[in-house]
Amino acid sequence: MTNYAASEKAFLGLSHAQVFVYVLMTVISILFLFITNAYLFRMNFQDWAPVPIPTLLWFNTVCLLLASVGMVWAKSGAKTEDHQKTKVGLTLAGVFAVVFVSGQTWAWQELHVSGYFLSSNPANTFFYLITALHALHVLGGLVAWFVVTFKVFKEDAAILQPESVGLLGVYWHYMLLVWGVLFAMLITT
Amino acid sequence: MAFVIVTAIIVIGTVLWNFVSPWWFSPLASNWGFLDTTILISLSITGIAFVLVSTFILYCVVKFPYREGHKSEYEPENPALELKLTIITALGVIALLAPGLYAWKLYISLPADALEVEGVGQQWVWSYRFPGEDGVYGNTSGRLFSSKNTFGLDPDDPYGQDDILIRGGEVHLPINQKVVFQLRSKDVLHDFYVPQFRAKMDLVPGQQSNLWFEPTILGTYEVACAEYCGTGHYAMRGVVVVDTQEAFNGWLAKQPTFAETMNEGANGEQIVQTLGCVACHSVDGSDGIGPTWGGTYGTNRSLSSGETVVVDEDYIKTSIVNPMSQIAEGYAPVMPAYATLSDEELTAIADYIKTLSE
Amino acid sequence: MDQNSATYEGQKMYDPKGWWDTYVFSQDHKIIALQYVCVALAIGLTGMFLSLLMRLQLGFPGLFESIDAGSYYQDVTMHGMIMVIYLLTALFLGGFGNYLIPLMLGCRDMAFPFVNMLSFWMYFLSVIILVASFFVESGPTGAGWTLYPPQSILEGTPGGDGAGIILMLASLAVFIVAFTMGGLNYITTVLQSRAKGMTLMRMPLIIWCIFLATFLGLLAFPALLVGAIMLIFDRVLETSFFMPEIFKGGEVLDYGGGSPVLFQHLFWFFGHPEVYIIALPAFGIISELISVHARKNIFGYNMMVWALIAIAGIAFIVWAHHMYVAGMNPYLGFFFATTTLIIAVPTAIKVYNWALTLWNANIKMTVPMLYCLAFLVTFLNGGLTGLFLGNVAVDVPLSDTYFVIGHFHMVMAVSPVLALFGGLYHWYPSVTGRMLDDRLGKIHFWITFIGTYLIYFPMHYIGFLGVPRRYYSNEQYDFIPQSVADLNQFITICTLIVGAAQFIMLYNLIKSLYKGAIAPKNPWDACTLEWQTLESPPGHGNWGEQLPVVYRWPYEYGLPSATADFVPQNVSDEQIT
Repeated sequence: MTNYAASEKAFLGLSHAQVFVYVLMTVISILFLFITNAYLFRMNFQDWAPVPIPTLLWFNTVCLLLASVGMVWAKSGAKTEDHQKTKVGLTLAGVFAVVFVSGQTWAWQELHVSGYFLSSNPANTFFYLITALHALHVLGGLVAWFVVTFKVFKEDAAILQPESVGLLGVYWHYMLLVWGVLFAMLITT
Repeated sequence: MAFVIVTAIIVIGTVLWNFVSPWWFSPLASNWGFLDTTILISLSITGIAFVLVSTFILYCVVKFPYREGHKSEYEPENPALELKLTIITALGVIALLAPGLYAWKLYISLPADALEVEGVGQQWVWSYRFPGEDGVYGNTSGRLFSSKNTFGLDPDDPYGQDDILIRGGEVHLPINQKVVFQLRSKDVLHDFYVPQFRAKMDLVPGQQSNLWFEPTILGTYEVACAEYCGTGHYAMRGVVVVDTQEAFNGWLAKQPTFAETMNEGANGEQIVQTLGCVACHSVDGSDGIGPTWGGTYGTNRSLSSGETVVVDEDYIKTSIVNPMSQIAEGYAPVMPAYATLSDEELTAIADYIKTLSE
Repeated sequence: MDQNSATYEGQKMYDPKGWWDTYVFSQDHKIIALQYVCVALAIGLTGMFLSLLMRLQLGFPGLFESIDAGSYYQDVTMHGMIMVIYLLTALFLGGFGNYLIPLMLGCRDMAFPFVNMLSFWMYFLSVIILVASFFVESGPTGAGWTLYPPQSILEGTPGGDGAGIILMLASLAVFIVAFTMGGLNYITTVLQSRAKGMTLMRMPLIIWCIFLATFLGLLAFPALLVGAIMLIFDRVLETSFFMPEIFKGGEVLDYGGGSPVLFQHLFWFFGHPEVYIIALPAFGIISELISVHARKNIFGYNMMVWALIAIAGIAFIVWAHHMYVAGMNPYLGFFFATTTLIIAVPTAIKVYNWALTLWNANIKMTVPMLYCLAFLVTFLNGGLTGLFLGNVAVDVPLSDTYFVIGHFHMVMAVSPVLALFGGLYHWYPSVTGRMLDDRLGKIHFWITFIGTYLIYFPMHYIGFLGVPRRYYSNEQYDFIPQSVADLNQFITICTLIVGAAQFIMLYNLIKSLYKGAIAPKNPWDACTLEWQTLESPPGHGNWGEQLPVVYRWPYEYGLPSATADFVPQNVSDEQIT
């Protein structure tokens, strides 16, 4: 079973998983590009009444930022084979991501209670839709996080982990970036 | 060889068909002859390309059949030839595009000295509005529609009072007079299309779109909806009559203004026209999407539930307010409920249907 | 590099255990491809059956009482949606893509076999949801395959007030997820898993086509997803993304302020690349077939690749040519007409290069070649009529008439289907190890080719006359003469014959599985790798012990220095005799 290498010419020296995740992030970017486009198109219509952004969102943003910091930590732990650091970093990243998503649902609750219903104004609908789509993608990331973290804590297939942890981190930073752009759009318009 | 013969017949037939086809442009009755010209230009250029390329292919098939032991010529590239072909194609494309863009410029430049008409679409009937004596349309709003105020006009707007409303699907236009149509829709997408005028534009609810043309031949023309608008799409037929200027003036003078329509009593015939009922229910006994009204009052009707009921005032009123409760046998359950009509209006409709059986 | 081989070893750990693993929840790309093909053909037959119902009404109005206006529009809608998305997209990318990518690139499987399996089952789920909509109260949606709001989610349109439209949108969303999983796999595999020596510019054109079509899909489907999600919101939660003030059924609805044109932009931003998602794989199949069966190298490979890339790029900036008369800003017409006609140039280059491949060739008139040549004629015809519709002002009298029906069926129904059949006849031996029956194949070819031409060609001319499309009946209109009704009858009879002829192919596919002549390993003497496997048909893992090494481009036919008239890609210069 020699000559099993997939290719001598792996694209730009990337691994399969890296290509997969980068292309996936491109696709997700396109998705959010369309939704923001639709948002910017629709907001010019007369019936648009902006939503007051709940203060809670600032707190959530900080949580997402901390989750990314956790990932940086986990990645550096994985590189130096400091398992303890990796575990702590991953845990932080996961917990803060969960807090972020819960915080978002809380923010919807707040808005709903103060009378900003989903269907009463397009600005409300967009707010709920955009934040929900983003939260869904964070949740999707959490599924991958669960798989990787599980493996790390079992300390098996150790060779694979630096790459997986690294990619997971990339996705986390990407989610933070997307949120940053969306949040900026929501508060400025 | 069979392939070559059959395909040659297809190619020759495709070309010859253009000279013998029993179906060709509807007789032109507007200023948009140039659009026909652009189609003919396109037909000529693409026709030449079609013949040249297919002839080349067929020639190759005849000339280079498989011969055992023979090898084909090895020629992976020929950049000079490819460049030439690209340039020729680009020239052909420019020859097509230039008249197209020029015609589009004409098509979207609305003339200033035109007669203004508003075309309003709804499922599945056409209506129209002229700005009236003052030459200014009254304001409208989607929130103001009702079965009485069928154009959604603002009742307090002084400009709107003299607007002339054409309900019932037939509009007249003067000959040799440019007309700008401002199009809007009450419910879903429609498309104002008169084949003889060539021009066509969608009606989009919530916004206005524009269209202009100049009728050049007297006569009666059909409006066919050209954007799918629900089950009755194919039945959304209207009529445009092109009159002389005098006949047009006489016709317009007889049409009611907005102020007049608001003071009318409930008139069954008017209501069924404006609500578009007639797109599905004929008045002459012929079958449609729904059962006809002609000659049915007082008769028995079998329902899809198996029951039989008498077509009377009660049945008619219930069928309008809650159509799903009694579907006539053999008809699809597609009628929307008209739950907001007043009892006075319902009675007027039932009375009108009654007259159709007398 | 070590990491890669480790990943690959890790993947090879998958070994099917037992029947379920091998044939049902298989992770082998060849089995998944077959699953895609079978499901797509089954739902495609349903789509064809719906078109027959539609034709029966048009040819013999009123004769069949069960086809009322509502069910007619449901048939039209589901026919369009099934054929475009669930048959052609799935079959070309899921079927041909899955089968050919690993075999032609010389690798053992897709980069992520498990995701590949998930992709198929998601696709299967989307088909189930789609089919389920036939069985709900008030039936599937009859909104037209474009699903334009407001009518698509209102009563007055079949299925608009029922679950039909919701199931349709949900099915599309699931399909998009399935496609994304498959697509990420194809992209990764093409970029990462090529055999040694298989540079990008040595890939067979069909792989280029599938690769670019996948990219188009990955970038275009999100637009549809966004549109579908927003439309579901409007339908279920009564939001107003696309819904303006609407007066309907005697009352003003709760909607207000939205823009129906916004949906059209989202839809066509997906919808136009979708045309190329279907057309590009067909181009690819033709490129392979024409070279193999004409025994000649494809003409202008580099130009072909660049033309494909140009088409894929421009495909994203032409979408609004579907909306010239839709009430958008009319000045956009200038831009979109120009881009649309520009895309004609690379498309024409492809046609020239196919035609020039035949020059000084050694043409074998096999069944796949017949399909190829027929494709050239119908695609030429359909492509040229596209120049009418893309050219803004010329489109005005023709849009939404039968001219449009004739055009798009010629270019994205007849042509891709001819390519598809050609592909089936060509690769059937590789999949099954047996040849398809030649005589049945020819009968099927002639009926399909001549029949479809007779069906769609005359439609252009009743389009000139102005007969609008999507009309349940033309009886009310005086400007439509009786001769149109006669023509409709003729077309319906042709449709029935062509429809019946498809069962010849189906019979051929099944019969040859057991009774077909045993195929030699490389029955067409092709250069590409899928015919150079150790076993025929290729086994699990495709290549036995050694992965192939590639020494040349995939169209080495008629090489002067060789005695044979073809040199396979994995034969080195020293090995040439």
